[in-house]
Amino acid sequence: MRFAGLVENEILKISRQRRFRVVVLILIALIGLIVFAQSKGRDRYLGGKDWRVRTQERMASIQNWLRDGRMPASSQRWARFELGRLEYHLERDIDPDAISGPLFTRAFANASSYLLLPLLAIVFASDIVSAEFQQGTIKILLTRPVGRVRVLASKLAALMLAITLTTAFGALVAYAFGGIAYGYRGWGAPVLTGFRIGGERFDPAAVRSIALWKDTILVFGLAWFAMLCVGAIGLLTSVLLRSTAAAMGTMLAALIAGTILPRLASQWEAQKFLFVTCLPLPDYYSGSPPPIPGLTIGFAAAVLAAWAAAALVAAFIVFARRDVLA
Amino acid sequence: MLVAEHLTKRFGRREAVSDVSFTLHAGEVLGFLGPNGAGKTTTIRMLVGLARPDSGRIRIRGLDVATDFRRAMTHVGSIVESPDLYRYLTGRENLLHFARMLPEGAEERVESLAAMVSMRERLDDRVSTYSLGMRQRLGIAQALLGNPDVLVLDEPANGLDPAGIREIRELVRRLAGERGIAVFVSSHLLSEVELMCDRVSIIHRGRTLASGNVHELLDRFAGDRLLVRARPAALAAEMLSAFGAADVEASGGGGDLVSARVDPSRVPDALRELVGAGVDVYSVERPASSLEDAFLQITGGETV
Repeated sequence: MRFAGLVENEILKISRQRRFRVVVLILIALIGLIVFAQSKGRDRYLGGKDWRVRTQERMASIQNWLRDGRMPASSQRWARFELGRLEYHLERDIDPDAISGPLFTRAFANASSYLLLPLLAIVFASDIVSAEFQQGTIKILLTRPVGRVRVLASKLAALMLAITLTTAFGALVAYAFGGIAYGYRGWGAPVLTGFRIGGERFDPAAVRSIALWKDTILVFGLAWFAMLCVGAIGLLTSVLLRSTAAAMGTMLAALIAGTILPRLASQWEAQKFLFVTCLPLPDYYSGSPPPIPGLTIGFAAAVLAAWAAAALVAAFIVFARRDVLA
Repeated sequence: MLVAEHLTKRFGRREAVSDVSFTLHAGEVLGFLGPNGAGKTTTIRMLVGLARPDSGRIRIRGLDVATDFRRAMTHVGSIVESPDLYRYLTGRENLLHFARMLPEGAEERVESLAAMVSMRERLDDRVSTYSLGMRQRLGIAQALLGNPDVLVLDEPANGLDPAGIREIRELVRRLAGERGIAVFVSSHLLSEVELMCDRVSIIHRGRTLASGNVHELLDRFAGDRLLVRARPAALAAEMLSAFGAADVEASGGGGDLVSARVDPSRVPDALRELVGAGVDVYSVERPASSLEDAFLQITGGETV
């Protein structure tokens, strides 16, 4: 009867299913692999050169590409931005490539925010209602003296908790593994953030320097927010499709389309209203140029929130009203 | 305890349940009999609030399921279609899970209910290791967690072996007899309903064909064919003909089996006549096949 008891039920079910252990293992295996591969590749790439020389070389090659003029418009924008970023680091005498365990953790948050973490959110979300239908347990769950809205609300709460724990666990594993390879110290190092493209040009005015730990928390916070929104949309597909495989497949297809679309069709501006395009919030925050004009961090967050809210409203209405048959 | 009035449910154009009504009293077992696809499960889904009737009303202890769902459900325990539980959890975890969805006190009943359905020993094993009979019993324990006044069981005998069926049947009789629980049991097996229920409602193609006391109803459908094993058979046949029985026939069974049609109410008199005339009567039965025949007849010959 108590809401806490209902949430406890849902957590029990999530944690006792095999998929929970699979998610934990995926995170450990994947992060381990990334750290290993990165540390190997890095040794070869750096070749012992001084980082200033390296950075200057990189800038020169980017300038060459730009002069070449065969680059697509979207890449040109990126190249100009990267040029500005390197220049800024060089002026300040900061190695743009120096890495530490904490830096790796932050990079992981950034890189995993648009596919890996949302994927894990989907693994939990697509199952949370549809599994009850597939197991037939929905027939008991919805014939107990608890309203359907409360049942779904307890599921939503448990889902949010699972997503939060997954984000935190991912951060912990990234730091643990990153630390092994690059050392555990360096949370206080200043990082530059807020690079912004003003019109066509790099705008140094917006750049601030903040402590790495603050920046990392911010980035994970953004990734977490994006995951919650994906979770809400996943909950809707789970309610609508009543099949875990179908719900997971649908969400997976949407996510992958989201990673492809901005690259293949950057001309189509309306895609900034799609939730998948808005997922890489940390990217937009830390200053990658927006793939589509107008797609700022605030805009992306608002689009995600709107999608999530609409999905939740629809999920609750359908779940509360629809007959449970066969 | 449970009153269903004029229930109708449509799926598209097809009426799965049309104008079905029944009343279930405390301490009574009501059988809901019909062939597969007759609308039994749809009716049950409406009783427990899983599906909304297009018209009609269901009240449980006076509480309307449509408008007072939560309070109505505190008085109901059910197994719909099959005893589905969380297979990756243990029996105990399953019971505790559903106890948490009930008012205070349900968790304390887990042990005693497990003992009642003889599941105590296996309570800490995962449900995936249970047999169907064990899941059925655990399902009943789950349904009883909230101390319900009404128990709804959908085809409880399905997939069980004869010993399992008997166990369930005795449990149901005991719940109705000792605790005064009103039990609603659906089945497509006439013999099952005959043994388990006090009253029966026969449903076919979504409509109620007949309802009433089980034995009266069975008498009505049983027809009047009587099989008497008696010696000497010839004398028995003669006496029965003289008594006014129709279609008297001495047949088979090693020469001492007589078949005749006698009005059910006159069977005791007919037997007295036989015994009075010095005929040794070894057995008298009304062949079950005629019950099945009658049922097939009223349900239009579809599989029972």
